Amino acid sequence: MQLMPRSKSQLAGVLLLFAASALAQSPGKKSPSVTLAPIDPVSVTRGKGAEVSLHFRVAAGFHINSNTPKSEFLIPTALKMDAPTDVALTKTSYPAGKDMTFPFAPDEPLNVYTGDFTISMMVRPLHTVQPGKYAVHGDLKYQACDNAACYPPKHLPVEFEVKVLKNATPAGRNPAQSPHAHR
Amino acid sequence: MKRNPAALFFVAAVVAAMLFVGFHSARRAGSGNSDSLDVTGKPAPDFTLDSLDGKKIQLSSYKGQAVLLNFWATWCGPCKIEMPWFVDLQKEYGPQGLQIVGVAMDDASKDEIAKFVKEMGVNYTILLGKEAVGQEYGGVNVLPTTFFIDRDGKIVAREFGLQSRSLFVDNIKKSLSQGRAVQAQK
Repeated sequence: MQLMPRSKSQLAGVLLLFAASALAQSPGKKSPSVTLAPIDPVSVTRGKGAEVSLHFRVAAGFHINSNTPKSEFLIPTALKMDAPTDVALTKTSYPAGKDMTFPFAPDEPLNVYTGDFTISMMVRPLHTVQPGKYAVHGDLKYQACDNAACYPPKHLPVEFEVKVLKNATPAGRNPAQSPHAHR
Repeated sequence: MKRNPAALFFVAAVVAAMLFVGFHSARRAGSGNSDSLDVTGKPAPDFTLDSLDGKKIQLSSYKGQAVLLNFWATWCGPCKIEMPWFVDLQKEYGPQGLQIVGVAMDDASKDEIAKFVKEMGVNYTILLGKEAVGQEYGGVNVLPTTFFIDRDGKIVAREFGLQSRSLFVDNIKKSLSQGRAVQAQK
């Protein structure tokens, strides 16, 4: 008899899972989504820079405009971040979109992101910033469509942590091994 | 571990029911469907919106005419496909009492919308939409969304996403042929 409550909770879990599954499989009920993979905290020495890569995924069956769509009327995918004071975010780099045609515009390719795409940026704490952890917040604005319809623009929250380290020059480092040495 | 046959049967039945419901809702959904409230068969909610030329347009002022009410946006690719159809359909069915009304659900400025409309050669009424109006129509979460309103102001059909031109023609004929105003003319 002690199994019963456990069985009920398992049963409820199964029911919830299948309810979610049934909703997700219905095209009419499935809303377009872009998700962001978890971001590891970024450790960076003050005065130096570190690259942060944000990995996004567009749900199957949908596409979103690239950062540089072909028409002025289309809404570009854009990342907007608010950096803490003295921690600069620079060089936001968007991937090139793919030129794709869709049933609603067979002669007019659109420049879009589908599936996985990555946006990167440089985090550069100033020399004067106090070592410690800093939260960076922002959002990704995107506007999705499928093969026959479009959905209003959405904002996906983006958040990661920057750990600012004190030491500017780690002891014993060979400058020849620097990734910048050959640039 | 002892399994409860009744619980297993219950789970199997629920799963089968969900698959059935999911399959049928998917079929019914067609393309680009929405989870919005179905307002078909009900009176079209009245509203007043600004037109591109600055006039206040009230939907109920079209009573006696059939109305094709199309929610669209400048950033909506499928909407662009429909617009030339609507231009032709306004010419063809306007003399019979059809008025096409496009409601721009856009964050773009009035000037940008006007520029887009001019580029598309639109010959029908364009209004500047508001979220609240979309909510009155059950929530316009998908663009394009089109409602067909008969001469009495009743919604006779709605379509989500890009549909065939022939389906629009069928729905226009339906909206033109229904309503007390039509019966009175006969």
